[in-house]
Amino acid sequence: MRHFVLAAAAAAACFVTAAAAQLRPDQAAGTIRARQANYKQMAAAFKGINDQLRSSSPSVPAIRRGSAVIARHAPRLLRWFPRGSGPEAGIRTRALPLIWSDRAAFTRAGAGLVVAARNLQAAARSGDVAAIRAAAPAVGRACSGCHEDFRAPEQ
Amino acid sequence: MSHIRVWDLPTRAFHWLIVLLMPALWWTGEEHMDELHLLLGEVALGLILFRIVWGLIGGSTARFAGFVKGPGAILAYLRGERPAGVGHNPLGALSVLALLVLLATVTGLGLFATDEDGLAPGPLSHLVTFDSARILAERHEQLFWILVGFIGLHVAAILFYLLVRHDNLVTPMVTGARAGRGGEEAMTAAPAWRFFIAAGAAVALTWAIVRGV
Repeated sequence: MRHFVLAAAAAAACFVTAAAAQLRPDQAAGTIRARQANYKQMAAAFKGINDQLRSSSPSVPAIRRGSAVIARHAPRLLRWFPRGSGPEAGIRTRALPLIWSDRAAFTRAGAGLVVAARNLQAAARSGDVAAIRAAAPAVGRACSGCHEDFRAPEQ
Repeated sequence: MSHIRVWDLPTRAFHWLIVLLMPALWWTGEEHMDELHLLLGEVALGLILFRIVWGLIGGSTARFAGFVKGPGAILAYLRGERPAGVGHNPLGALSVLALLVLLATVTGLGLFATDEDGLAPGPLSHLVTFDSARILAERHEQLFWILVGFIGLHVAAILFYLLVRHDNLVTPMVTGARAGRGGEEAMTAAPAWRFFIAAGAAVALTWAIVRGV
């Protein structure tokens, strides 16, 4: 129990530090580029999973690889948005200011993806295609749900 | 003045359904209403496939073999020679062909495209990588605007015929008939069973593509 409390406190401290950290303008470009690349990796991974699910004989190893990419990125996602990496950085980003002004809602949305990604990875590890098929849409909903609120439309 | 038949019903229905679909497809694409965009795109695919088959077995003025002419006939038309029959003139035929090829290509590219999140993939996008599907999505959009340019040209030509040549081309595309000019032969309609063959082929092919082949 004591360990749990300590771990929770440490995690909370990390989160608060990450959220409070202010980026220097010259760091913002790298942060924004890196997170865009990460999101692209997740999109490609998710497409790869759905491609397999469309096939008459889905490749479970391919689905495992894709779900691992998403599960690896999902818990880190909230840290991709330090203060100063929003539109104020003066670099093209569609991240909306709401990410920082309603951090609680953004954190909830991020946590939703973590749960969905974990479930998908568990299903992928089990190798049960029906379970994978059942778990995949929640990941898509988590992605688009968050994009709807926290990402500006294209152009 | 007697009226003569110019366009059969399937050709007219195709034309006006595409007219309705174009703004709807543009809007649903622009607003990222992906599900609806994909659904309307599949309807457009079915219509285009139907029109291609109808161009082979449809009524006389719908058939490619009937209206697609070589450079000689086009030059003669530009010099002022008027073809005897009803239907597309040799120059208009080029426009019809360009519009149909562009429609088919834009729709074909859309089949393989995906949105930036990989959440709304086209029905054949599982055959290409995410990066390719994104490039194809860009081409899909770019070519759409070229298609819009050709649609503009098409509308401008119709206005030219209406205002300068006093020849209303819109009403016949609605009613299927126009006033005869004497010595003209009306179109030859295709029997109904051919329509069912073309529609059946288009639906079957669309179904196969939408299911991912």
